[in-house]
Amino acid sequence: MSYLINGEAGSSHLLMGNEAIVRGALEGGVSVATGYPGTPSSEIVESLAGVAKERNLYVEWSVNEKVALEVAAAASFAGLRSMCVMKQNGVNVTSDFLLHLASSGTRGGMVLVSCDDPGALSSVNEGESRLFAKMVEIPLLEPGDFQEAKDITKWAFELSEEIRNLVMIRSVTRMSHASGNVRYGKLPDGKAHAQFDFHGSLLDQEKGPMISMVVSAAELQHGPQQEKLRKAAGIFEECPFNTYNGPERPELLIVTSSACNLYSREAIKALNLEKKAGVLKLATTWPLPRNVIKRHFALTDRIMIVEEVLPTLEENIKVLAAEMAPEIGIKTFYGKRSGHIPSVGEMNPDLVIGALSSVLGLKRKSMPEAFAGKARKLAETVVPKREMTFCPGCPHRASYWSIHNAIEMDNRKGFVCGDIGCYTLGMLPCGFSTLKTVHSMGSGSGIASGFGKLTQFGMDQPVVAVCGDSLFFLAAMHAMAIAVLQTSPFSLVSLDNSGTAMTGFQAHPGIAANAMGEEMPALDIAEICRAMGARVEKADPFDLEGTRKALNEMMEHREGAKVLILQQACALSPQRKGRKSYEMEIDEEMCLGEECGCNRICTRIFGCPGIVWNREKGVSTIDELICTGCGVCADICPQGAIKRREAE
Amino acid sequence: MVKNSGPYELLSDVIHKDLCIGCGACIDLCPYFKSYKGKTAMLFPCTFSEGKCFAYCPKVELDLDELSRHCFEAPYSADPLGHYHSIEISKAGREMGGTQFQAGGTVSAIMSFALKKGYLDGAVLTGREGLLPVPCFVTQPEEVLKCATSKYTAAPTVSALNRAIQDGYEAIGIVATPCQAQAIALMRSSRLDENDCIDPVHFVVGLFCTWSLDFRAFEDFIEERTGTESIAKVDIPPPPAEIMEVYLANGAKLEMPLDEIRKLTPESCSYCFDMTAEFSDISVGVLEGRPDMNTLIIRTERGQKLVREAVDEGYLIVDGIPEDAMEHLTWASENKKKRALKKAGDAGMINTPDAEKRSMVRLRGEILERIMVASQGCE
Repeated sequence: MSYLINGEAGSSHLLMGNEAIVRGALEGGVSVATGYPGTPSSEIVESLAGVAKERNLYVEWSVNEKVALEVAAAASFAGLRSMCVMKQNGVNVTSDFLLHLASSGTRGGMVLVSCDDPGALSSVNEGESRLFAKMVEIPLLEPGDFQEAKDITKWAFELSEEIRNLVMIRSVTRMSHASGNVRYGKLPDGKAHAQFDFHGSLLDQEKGPMISMVVSAAELQHGPQQEKLRKAAGIFEECPFNTYNGPERPELLIVTSSACNLYSREAIKALNLEKKAGVLKLATTWPLPRNVIKRHFALTDRIMIVEEVLPTLEENIKVLAAEMAPEIGIKTFYGKRSGHIPSVGEMNPDLVIGALSSVLGLKRKSMPEAFAGKARKLAETVVPKREMTFCPGCPHRASYWSIHNAIEMDNRKGFVCGDIGCYTLGMLPCGFSTLKTVHSMGSGSGIASGFGKLTQFGMDQPVVAVCGDSLFFLAAMHAMAIAVLQTSPFSLVSLDNSGTAMTGFQAHPGIAANAMGEEMPALDIAEICRAMGARVEKADPFDLEGTRKALNEMMEHREGAKVLILQQACALSPQRKGRKSYEMEIDEEMCLGEECGCNRICTRIFGCPGIVWNREKGVSTIDELICTGCGVCADICPQGAIKRREAE
Repeated sequence: MVKNSGPYELLSDVIHKDLCIGCGACIDLCPYFKSYKGKTAMLFPCTFSEGKCFAYCPKVELDLDELSRHCFEAPYSADPLGHYHSIEISKAGREMGGTQFQAGGTVSAIMSFALKKGYLDGAVLTGREGLLPVPCFVTQPEEVLKCATSKYTAAPTVSALNRAIQDGYEAIGIVATPCQAQAIALMRSSRLDENDCIDPVHFVVGLFCTWSLDFRAFEDFIEERTGTESIAKVDIPPPPAEIMEVYLANGAKLEMPLDEIRKLTPESCSYCFDMTAEFSDISVGVLEGRPDMNTLIIRTERGQKLVREAVDEGYLIVDGIPEDAMEHLTWASENKKKRALKKAGDAGMINTPDAEKRSMVRLRGEILERIMVASQGCE
């Protein structure tokens, strides 16, 4: 991480978008950074944690996004610059506090960074966070390239201090995870000092208590809050990050922001439309800079809005256009509502090329249909089908095997509620299609607790929930509290793989180290559940039969909420990576293969990538390079043909 | 020859129709079928169109003629008690010591004797963990007594036979309920016919059975009345008592009316036409009015020989069956047969045309007719 703090001002560096945001925050003098891991946002807090010592920062992986924003807010109240980082879903989690914070305002510059995931590449949804800025009435900034990712972040702190309120930055996967050249500015010197002043009057935002208190006195706080937003709008009129690129009188004006700026420019270049189409790239997408828009709309009659997922920018722009119509005339808009731009999934240059071609009546298609058809056909026939699966040696595969078998053997139409993590894959064949509900982080436990209380309506299916160790602290703990209180007879299976594994082993309260690598006393999930009054058992998920029995036994008890903790570190975790417990081998003589009595249960059902079906020989073999030596498959084999030997 | 099918048919024709009694024939043949608390579950899909699981299942495509020819070298008859050499009454002899048996102790005596003589290298029995009957494999005569006493819910006992065969035992004795005995007969006359040059089953002792109980329903029923106190023994004294006795670990004894208990019988038992375990070497049951004696039906040469030897060596005492007991046995067995076949017939589960759908049971039309006619006026 040293390259993030060592470069000279003016030097150029190839940075990932998220790193550019980090450099911007450092140049902006951030002191406190918090967040909850989630792709594509995780590198920001991680990188800040990596330079925390050198830059005297406090960096925290919080228990959830709401607490993260609260912790960062405290720093701002004490006069420090602070930043809070999350993925799009996190903004939903923090939204209650967000609304109140926007109402009380901030002191030290405070920036909320949300990294959205259009196309849901690493999410179970492509939810939008932009709408929150409008909803809670705070400014929204969207960098249009990597340099801007840094510069806008630095500027956001200044803006926040100027309007005395939180500023939101929204990135997207392709902005956060792609890389580009970034010219460094200067890192600030001097030590930040924190002090919380509260002796002023209730409404004195500089010296009084920080209180969100609009109670039948909207004009006292809500009014000034909106005044802050108007002030921001004024500043945005002069904002250097809102740029126009194109001819003086474009035939078509593209209005865009964020990564779509890059796609739009590429599309114009590909179609040689430099003389016909211009791009108005907005960095300040809420509130919109009215005059900037008016000036550019006056240049043309046809306007295309290019953005990802919902028509958020499109609709806000149309409101302004309607208001301005008497002065600038009636415009024709192209975008999501006209069907030119899709409302689902990521954008890319091809999609913009397609939209431009259609609007301007160009013959050129983004891809010749004959070629596309041929490629599709080849992809279907030549490329082997690959389903999503767990890594070799993943404890989740073993856990789901036992959970699935326990549920099936129990034979009372039991089911499992899941949520977010690698273990979401439990809904697919690699997890034996075990999960029957999947929603937001930690929600499986709440849903299961609810199902458990339906016995009075005749529901007698056993209910199980699965939950990762990090999400236990994030949300499942709360569900457990009410489940114990209400004696909801469900079984929570804690899939404890010792870290926030899916996003890269970030710290959580159950881990004995914090984000900055300092040793911490870890919280014990079992003890917490016991203290709540739940019956708690532990099992090793690699002991398939022991785990299955423990869960079957648990499902028999109808007296209230129970917890089964399945503890085994992630196969990619530092403690397991590269280390084999067992050397595995398959006795080809003993392997039944496709005969009655086995029918390839290891390769057809269990599906660990470490076992390969040898079609010619009709036997299974171990792929030594891929096998992690967990030894679980030996217990799957009905013949005992899979042998494990203690690794040296 | 009956057409064999696979796991999907087993699922659709047996398990999903509640015909599965959980005998264990399909358990431990492969990783796909498991038994838990008396119920059979298929854990994962198996793609085969034919399998041992279907071939060994006594609840689908059970061809009585084929089975009878295999076991007795005779076609299936309309006799209410099945094929047999003789019917006697019996009890454990002096060599069994003064052990108190639930009835006459004939089964324990025969199994102990066969193990002691080395006719068997192992015996498949049914033990008990709490209320739950569990398959049990023993190799020592002394171990037999641990599995004595009646069980009233079905057990996957045949799975222990599957395991014992895989483990290489070659002379196995097994104590089986009628459904389990049918499964074993199917295994021995396997439609798959793969490398079974040795028949590892030395002999089968069948148990009379009129019904069993659904384990979960029975467990709930008992738990409601006994709380957490563990069960020491369960007994149904011979008629006309009409009660089930439950002895608790703390010494208390509860009596439950059989009328209430019978409501817990699984659907599957109401289709069962075999009260006396017709496909066995010998069948053993209670003797009405004589709690110290068993009814003993000797069906095969092998059974005959074993019983005679056991008598000669003091393990067993036999006597002639009283006429009224014989009459009652015939009446009861005939009645069950008629009721079950009527129900199955009404449900279209007997002798269906092959192409149409699979039958539960197949038997010659004339035999079926004779069974149904003969039993008119019973009940």
